[in-house]
Amino acid sequence: MLLPAIWMAAIIYACLITILSIGFTLTYLTAKIPNFAHGTYAGIGIYTSYTISKIFGFSPYLGFPLAFLLGGLFSVLVYLVVIQVLSRMGGGAIVLTIATLAIQIFLQAALYIYAFWIRALYQTYTIGFMLKLFDFRLFDMPGIFTVSLLTCVVTVILLHYMLTRTRTGVAMRATAEDLELSSVLGIDTNRIQIYSWFLTGGLACLAGAMYPMWFMSSPLAAAGTITSIMAGSLLGGFENVYGAIIGGFGVGLSEIIVTFGLQQLLGSWVGEYRPLIPMIILVAVLLIEPRGLQGIYERMMASPTGLKFLRAVGWKMEG
Amino acid sequence: MLDLIGSLAGVSGQARLIVDIAMYFGLFLIVAMSVNFQYGNAGVPNMGCAVQVIVGGFTVSAITTRLTFWLVQMAGVQLLPYQSDYDWVYNNFTNVSVLTNGYLKEHIFLCMTLLLFSLAVSMFLGAVMGWVIAVPAIRLRATYLMITLITMADASQIIGRNVVGISGGTLGMFIPNVLAFYPGDRTVVMAVITLFVGLISFFIFRTMLNSPYGRLMRAIRENEVTVGSVGKNVVGIRRNILMFASGITALAGTLVAFYFSYVVEANYQRAFWTYWPWLMLIMGGPGNNAGTFLGTALVVAMRRIIIVYKWFFEGLFGFPITYFESVLLGTLLIAVMIFRPNGIIPEKLLYIPGINYRQLVREEVPVDWRTAPKAKAGGGKRFGLFGKKEDD
Repeated sequence: MLLPAIWMAAIIYACLITILSIGFTLTYLTAKIPNFAHGTYAGIGIYTSYTISKIFGFSPYLGFPLAFLLGGLFSVLVYLVVIQVLSRMGGGAIVLTIATLAIQIFLQAALYIYAFWIRALYQTYTIGFMLKLFDFRLFDMPGIFTVSLLTCVVTVILLHYMLTRTRTGVAMRATAEDLELSSVLGIDTNRIQIYSWFLTGGLACLAGAMYPMWFMSSPLAAAGTITSIMAGSLLGGFENVYGAIIGGFGVGLSEIIVTFGLQQLLGSWVGEYRPLIPMIILVAVLLIEPRGLQGIYERMMASPTGLKFLRAVGWKMEG
Repeated sequence: MLDLIGSLAGVSGQARLIVDIAMYFGLFLIVAMSVNFQYGNAGVPNMGCAVQVIVGGFTVSAITTRLTFWLVQMAGVQLLPYQSDYDWVYNNFTNVSVLTNGYLKEHIFLCMTLLLFSLAVSMFLGAVMGWVIAVPAIRLRATYLMITLITMADASQIIGRNVVGISGGTLGMFIPNVLAFYPGDRTVVMAVITLFVGLISFFIFRTMLNSPYGRLMRAIRENEVTVGSVGKNVVGIRRNILMFASGITALAGTLVAFYFSYVVEANYQRAFWTYWPWLMLIMGGPGNNAGTFLGTALVVAMRRIIIVYKWFFEGLFGFPITYFESVLLGTLLIAVMIFRPNGIIPEKLLYIPGINYRQLVREEVPVDWRTAPKAKAGGGKRFGLFGKKEDD
């Protein structure tokens, strides 16, 4: 072991939350709604991994592309059946948010039903499982550590490449900026929305597929990550995908490390309050600077002291 | 209902179902009407009614129980120790169910005082909670507010689970039976009281809506800039609405605690106390009192019947009925929003009593609750709730 187990868990968790936060922010940018079902999408990935490994006996890593595809398709289905219909009917942000809550409730129940049926069919436990046994060793470490870190980095790089270099990515950014103006310019906003929903659902499921490799998994565990995801996105700023990378990683890391540190300091009872940490981050960000790091950055750019500070730390100015 | 109260035996069978439906109808009428008051009429999307309900429940377990213990000890009954966390849970059953209830059996006046005291305190604490919620509500956009409130509902449950002194932690705790003097089935009386409170709050909300203040409220929902420009304090009015409605919502938590004579945080789940009332509201017709009443009646009757006849339904589906409930909740919410966006009874214009509308020009203006919060009107660049610019 090169790293203590707690740091390994924290980094794996942070990578997963980063991937999920990127998707959450992307949905917020293109559809202008917080997708409460985003954490539950990961549940599809969790059960894809489960089915691939426990039922069919393959390595769960083989299920990752399948999980990506399944999640993307489900997400597109959600967009076409619910979100698009409601927004065409003139539903505002609140209606769409309630719709995502309804999807979350529905999807969680559907996952529980799937787990129940698998249990009835194969007589194995399906709730509260881990797939550590199916993992391989790499550099004397569990493979998932390297894989999750790599997936996170590759996702970020690919996303950056897509958003800045490809036509679809640029169109996506334009759609996020101004829907009407971009449709005037000839961008098929509906197709862009479908792409973006596919991407977010797929990324969420990819993260979900990695989840049971280290953590105790159940449909509820997937749904429970939503607070961390939202805290991560909010910390980075809802208007910026790159912010979500920093925010998601920070929240994921601090959730485990801060809990662990406080447990060392105050006693084991702190562990019960672990879900409060992302909640505190969330509320603090909302009350102090609702636009997160993005807002802080813009404020610094606006003030001379902030500019001086940014220059001092060697920040390159754009333009 | 009346002969049910008269009967001294425990209620069972069909009568049990009626009592159950009456009880839950009363409870959800309170919650759904206050959500309607906040969202349907004032445009504040309160997704955190579970917080206020949990405040009502914890009031009984943390404050009323301690007060009762103190009073009973003053009266000379020797209670087992209850100061430490361990004793609080371990001796809870003996303290409450044997010693305290035995004393309360002979003291009707004390019982009634305790019930009214709990209701009053929970109302007060609920209003305080409403004030706390109003702090972010003044600053945040509608969707951010929803995120915050849903988070708060979870947080309050976590705190209730881990701070044993509030409600006995994961195990829960018994609370004094304020109807100990009644020889028959306690739950029937509690259902009657709840139904009574629910109907009273329904009429209070209904009257308030067509008062000058209620019309002002609706005016703020429609266009807060105009209301502000004629010299009304928009922020203050919103805060008052939140505080008032939160206070009423907390009553539901207190009443359900007395119905079960037991408080545990798992009883105050977010889905149960937030999403179902919202379904009732959206199904019945937001902004319409009669619609909310009808929606509450329909959903409560449907749910209780599913729960009571769950063996029958489980045979139909082949999976546990609890999951079917969630599927039903999710599907109904979306189906109602797509196929019946204005609810069963759509919102109507307010007619001010005392004005002869026949002599006025009749104008039918379609009112759509979905466009109510003006958050999207400004292209997301403004703080929807209070029209504050985002960059200040």
